[in-house]
Amino acid sequence: MNTSLRTLLIAACLLFTSSFASELTMAVPNDGYRTDERANVGMYPLNANIYDTLVYVSPDYSVEPMLATSWEFIEPNTYRFFLREDVVFHDGSAFTAEDVKYSIDRVVAARPSGGLGADSVVIVDDYTLDITPESPNRRLLQQLTHPSWSILASGADPVTNPIGTGPFKYVEYAPEEYITVTRNDAYWGEAAQLEGITFRFIPDPNTRILALQAGEVDVAYDLPREQTEDVTGSNGLSVTTSQVGAYAALYVNVSGNEGYELGSDPAVRAAVARAIDKSLIVDDVWLGNATVNSSMIPERILGEFSSVVQGQAYDPEAAEQILGDAGWVDSNGDGTRDKNGRELNLTMVVGFPNPDIHRPMPEIVQALLADIGINMTIDITPDTASYDARLEEGSGDLWAEVGNQNDANPCFLPNGLFYSQSPWGAYPLRFAPGEDFDVFIEQCLAATTTTEVAEAAANAMKLIIDDENVVIPIAGIFRIYGHRDDISGFEAHPSTVNQRWNLVSQ
Amino acid sequence: MAFVTRLLQLIPVWLAISLLAFGLGHLTPGDPARLVAAQLSDGPPSNELVARVRTELGLDKPLPIQYVYWLGNIVQGDWGTSFRTGNAVLTELVRRFPATLRLAALAFVISVVVAPTLGVLAALYKGSVIDQFSRLLALVGASLPSFWLAFMLIIVFSVNLKWLPVSGQGSWQHLILPATSLSLISLPSLMRLTRSSLLDVLQEDYLRTAQAKGLRQRWVILKHALRNAFIPVVTVAGMSLGHLLGGAAIIEIVFAYPGVGKFLIDSIGNRDYPVIQAYVLFLGTIFVVINLLIDVVYTLLDPRISLDQKHAQHV
Repeated sequence: MNTSLRTLLIAACLLFTSSFASELTMAVPNDGYRTDERANVGMYPLNANIYDTLVYVSPDYSVEPMLATSWEFIEPNTYRFFLREDVVFHDGSAFTAEDVKYSIDRVVAARPSGGLGADSVVIVDDYTLDITPESPNRRLLQQLTHPSWSILASGADPVTNPIGTGPFKYVEYAPEEYITVTRNDAYWGEAAQLEGITFRFIPDPNTRILALQAGEVDVAYDLPREQTEDVTGSNGLSVTTSQVGAYAALYVNVSGNEGYELGSDPAVRAAVARAIDKSLIVDDVWLGNATVNSSMIPERILGEFSSVVQGQAYDPEAAEQILGDAGWVDSNGDGTRDKNGRELNLTMVVGFPNPDIHRPMPEIVQALLADIGINMTIDITPDTASYDARLEEGSGDLWAEVGNQNDANPCFLPNGLFYSQSPWGAYPLRFAPGEDFDVFIEQCLAATTTTEVAEAAANAMKLIIDDENVVIPIAGIFRIYGHRDDISGFEAHPSTVNQRWNLVSQ
Repeated sequence: MAFVTRLLQLIPVWLAISLLAFGLGHLTPGDPARLVAAQLSDGPPSNELVARVRTELGLDKPLPIQYVYWLGNIVQGDWGTSFRTGNAVLTELVRRFPATLRLAALAFVISVVVAPTLGVLAALYKGSVIDQFSRLLALVGASLPSFWLAFMLIIVFSVNLKWLPVSGQGSWQHLILPATSLSLISLPSLMRLTRSSLLDVLQEDYLRTAQAKGLRQRWVILKHALRNAFIPVVTVAGMSLGHLLGGAAIIEIVFAYPGVGKFLIDSIGNRDYPVIQAYVLFLGTIFVVINLLIDVVYTLLDPRISLDQKHAQHV
């Protein structure tokens, strides 16, 4: 073979190889990794797929096998897991129950969590183990889908010795700059299509969009809802959204301090719930990059019981009627209703998890409430700490929040936020609707089947949304990715922390 | 001796800064114990856990006691541990500060090269096109928020022309857009000050005398006018370095530049008192040192000024 032909063949081979062995650069928001004894680099909040968990929550929120092939519940409070036997870690060592015990003990030692203690994990044999929470916990499976419970090799550490079983291997982490991973050719599951991924931390959403438009990154995660057209309007770029995985809602303070007790009036709550035109917010302001929501919990989690929760339809006439019947009238003609000398003034506190994510919803709600004679003031708290302090004080009537459904447990949020016995600080103090609601949560906690859990959760949400109007759902929120057109195989997970990258190619 | 006296005078100033750094953080609403406890629980933390964390962090002690402990540790080199990251504050700051210093230093260089140059030209050619241009630039520069300019620069030079990177660090190209945006904090005011100061000096009798003696115009400007005109400019320029270091946070976030500014913003959001207090004290110390250096530069520019006030001539 002459030299030039050989050169040509080598060049063709290189070209062919490079078209498949591609690397992806992705812009993601803040670097939230810890590097101390609770180190979670590569796990949470950005899941770089270096590690696997025992069980996985699929995009439709069902719990599926991952490193555990199956499991069974042993009365009174033990889960027995049967592990895959064909898995090797990135360093070539075999995966066994010893590694699971090491990983869970490591998390528990640094951060007592999920009711697990130092003796909760017991090895039965190399590929079988029992996990027994210290207190009854029928939601352990759903809990273990969270990447905080990732499995490392015995003796490994996410910072100094990051050895997992995932489809990608750790390469380098530069705090607040990037984390780089490369393909694990020995992955037990479907091997990664990409040669590697570099996740770059770019906190400002505008900069993420500009980096995508400049070709500096291939994918940009968490685009502002109102700016998706900037991406779709650019040549060669597209937007992919997930199913609903988060929600925007207003909580009404039913136990406020002096000056903030109007939320305890059922008529006020019922009127506010009917005065908000959710379609206006979702379609005209957020450009359809969200969906009108009747509940906080994604429909797929509630399954057949999702229709139990209806939500309040936009009906300003009915809202005015309710207020009038309850004695709230505009007696002095200033445009704001009053009763017994007290004006119907409400305060909306906006700041969780940050004020920007709500914009411009508060202003629209303010205008809609003004239409029915309610004067609403908007108080922006700059960060979560200020918001929590306000909540502790109880100084606010409506509380705007965006929350995430990161595991498959439908009772996780209603239990924590609204159950009177919840340990979640000020939330139950301000928003717990009472004993009837507690009954449903207690049913949920004791339920042994997925169906029972979903039914109890749906009933709890019906009470707090449809009957008591303590929660006013605004929208179901998607995860929004901007990316180059030639990226394929990408399915956006509604829970970002469970996103998988091994099927993505370009 | 005068210099040592001056140094000793800085001690009460530094103590006052430390008191402010400590006090201001604690005045803001929000409970760091609750935020730390939230990281230890699966959701908002229980009141019991918050109380335990508060004790562990020493936040249950009276504020004066906390202040004394904190200051004592700072003096001994222990800057505390970040509530948020669990790492030593000094380690966190030392890791990030060089990047911020590089950014602020380049912005400073841009400011002290461009602003005096344009200011001098504008004063010497008052009413000319260059004067009009400089004044317009100063007006526009002072009116624009630096983050807005940052986005405009990215759109022009990164998205459209593809000459410079959008974000990150690693090469000298990565510094150009952030430093240019950051320089907007000090450049317009420095330019206007240089122009007005030089115009004032140019009216002085001693300059007319120098010209009457037959000195060349260039020599009169360089030797006599600029040295005096630059005294207020040096003050403002020196202080601007501190402002650039403190004001880099927004620019660092826009350009995803991994400096200390973004770390500080995150720390404020999490009421990470050890980090906030240490960095405010650190920046305050920088301001104090810069002030001292400015005084030294004064004596070089104008021998009539002395660090020893007893020997200073009234001018």
